[in-house]
Amino acid sequence: MKVLVTVKEVAAVEDEFQIAGTSIDETYLEYDLNEWDDYAVEEAVQLQEAGIADEVVAVTIGPERSEETIRMALAKGADRAVRIWDDALEGADLLDVGAKTAILEKVVEEEDPDIVLSGVQADDDGFGATGVSLADALGYEWAAVVNHLDQDSVESGTASVRRELEGGVEELTDVELPAVLTIQTGINEPRYASLRGIRQAQRKEIAPKTLGDLGLDAAAVENELELTDMYEPETESDATYFEGGPDEAAGQLADLLREKGVGAQ
Amino acid sequence: MNLSSEQAAVRDVVREFAAEELRPVARECDAEQTFPEDVWDGLAELDLTGLTVPEEYGGYDADPVTYAIINEELAHGMLAVATALSVHGLATSCIDEFGTQDVRDEWLPEMVDGRPVGAFALSEPEAGSNPAEMSTVAEHEGDEFVLNGKKQWITNGRRAGVYVVFAKTDRDDPGSITQFLVPADTDGVSVGKKEDKLGLRASDTTTLIFEDARIPAKYQLTEEGRGLSAAFQILTGGRIAIGAQSVGLAQAALDAAVEYAQQREQFEQPIADFQAIRHKLAEMQTKVTAGRLLTREAAQKKAAGAGMETAFLASQAKYFASEAAMDVANEAVQIHGGYGYTTDFPVERFYRDAKILTIYEGTTEIQKKIIARHLLGDDA
Ligand SMILES: Cc1cc2nc3c(=O)[nH]c(=O)nc-3n(C[C@H](O)[C@H](O)[C@H](O)COP(=O)(O)OP(=O)(O)OC[C@H]3O[C@@H](n4cnc5c(N)ncnc54)[C@H](O)[C@@H]3O)c2cc1C
Repeated sequence: MKVLVTVKEVAAVEDEFQIAGTSIDETYLEYDLNEWDDYAVEEAVQLQEAGIADEVVAVTIGPERSEETIRMALAKGADRAVRIWDDALEGADLLDVGAKTAILEKVVEEEDPDIVLSGVQADDDGFGATGVSLADALGYEWAAVVNHLDQDSVESGTASVRRELEGGVEELTDVELPAVLTIQTGINEPRYASLRGIRQAQRKEIAPKTLGDLGLDAAAVENELELTDMYEPETESDATYFEGGPDEAAGQLADLLREKGVGAQ
Repeated sequence: MNLSSEQAAVRDVVREFAAEELRPVARECDAEQTFPEDVWDGLAELDLTGLTVPEEYGGYDADPVTYAIINEELAHGMLAVATALSVHGLATSCIDEFGTQDVRDEWLPEMVDGRPVGAFALSEPEAGSNPAEMSTVAEHEGDEFVLNGKKQWITNGRRAGVYVVFAKTDRDDPGSITQFLVPADTDGVSVGKKEDKLGLRASDTTTLIFEDARIPAKYQLTEEGRGLSAAFQILTGGRIAIGAQSVGLAQAALDAAVEYAQQREQFEQPIADFQAIRHKLAEMQTKVTAGRLLTREAAQKKAAGAGMETAFLASQAKYFASEAAMDVANEAVQIHGGYGYTTDFPVERFYRDAKILTIYEGTTEIQKKIIARHLLGDDA
């Protein structure tokens, strides 16, 4: 069985930054593996360690710089990686869900995996749609916001998953493979890459591919979305003081938190 | 400094581990004088317990620059753990460098997996800066050695399952110092008093007592009389590690000071706006950078296999970076004012911990003695 994990290098802004037009200058950005993808990689590696997956392939859309990040996925146990980049992508200030779907669809067709694991969303552009959109394009089944995967079920060709819904409700679903599962944080505890894993990862393959290699042209990744503005919203802070003894103050705090939706069951 | 992509990835992972797993437990471990054993198991999972062991035994066999980077990052999280690990690394280095194939096969794979923990027992109550004055003896009897004596200040004393011990094979011959491996469960070996220390309180520092402790002759690691030069050879790498740990601790103190100076307001402005504070921060940063560069330079010399030159630089790095850590931690407390004098902020721990850096693995005075000896080409 083959597992494909989509991973993304995400940009995080430093405490102090400036917006120029519709982008933030490189000097204010730090790059890291998308948090949700870290859980997806861990889930894939666990399937491999359980002897269920024979191969774990990581795929990313990103410039050469992103190899550093994707190599962490290899260090944690993915066998090899595919990285798609192209001059046509270099110029775009936004890569929308449609474009990502078009690219990943081709990669999935080439790789022919049994399961595709993606993160629920990416930390930076937060479309939260790529996994499901990919499933739709491929005609695969899907399950979104998965926070538990029954490993044994995978072997039988149906993934039994638990999905997290609003308000603390959870749902169990059986999804026939091949399928795309979008992975929620907390599904597992992602490991640290070991030092020997990091060393081995230096020798693992990251195959670079262009749009042409996938049989796509620039038109396939043309955006339907246009980024029109980017700004920091005004922030306002609001302090509440609780009067009274510890018991009373704790009670008031609990009421306030409940009111704000913390701890709803 | 340009790091390879492997070195950069190792740095990132160890940095994250130190921030997520070490720093959060540092205060409690210090207060309770306990070593975080589950963190040690985490170090093993990352392969950090096999840094000075060849790959054939499952080790990572870190190059000297990577080894320095790892020591720096761990000490940024918690010096007591970084020290315990570097002492384990001294023990595995000795076993790998001087042990026979059999002894290496017997001990290294398990030590790579984290347990038994290793210790390095050179110092004695009456022999610190001058280990040649040691009195512990290991007398050859048939196919055994019989050890008698006392070791002092042994890091990992209680935690360790195996000690690398230095002893004279002839009590009347100061030139007979030899290196041995002693399993902790050997009859006649006992762990004595655990020291109640100023800093590094999470690390157990104990005496070791040998009373007719018999070990098989195969555990003789060096030739008779070669023990001390072997110790100094291994300690050259050890000093680079302590230099790197000093840099890590100093960086932690600087980070805390920068953050605090921007937050704390007096005279209706952040104290970071006062030139007196800005100058302190600038001096602290410069010392951290200089210590780091000196340590990396020593590590690079070691990687290039330059023996004498490495020892010369390792002593400079250890001396400079440890004194810099002391200065930087001191100023970090000063910048925190009264708050810095309490356990509510970590800088008081940095300050207490920093002091050990100028003492162990050769005091500042001894490093200067070594540096001057190289410089003047004499034997004073
Ligand atoms: C927390 C801790 C952990 C340690 N861990 C270990 C360990 O794991 N294994 C181990 O073997 N040892 C260990 N040590 C021992 C450490 O290496 C010694 O304490 C150190 O070498 C100094 O020896 P000493 O304490 O006997 O001081 P002394 O040698 O008595 O020195 C006292 C003072 O005299 C100065 N001095 C001595 N000789 C000279 C000289 N020739 N010229 C100028 N000044 C001189 C010293 O610099 C110092 O200031 C540890 C010590 C501590 C405190």
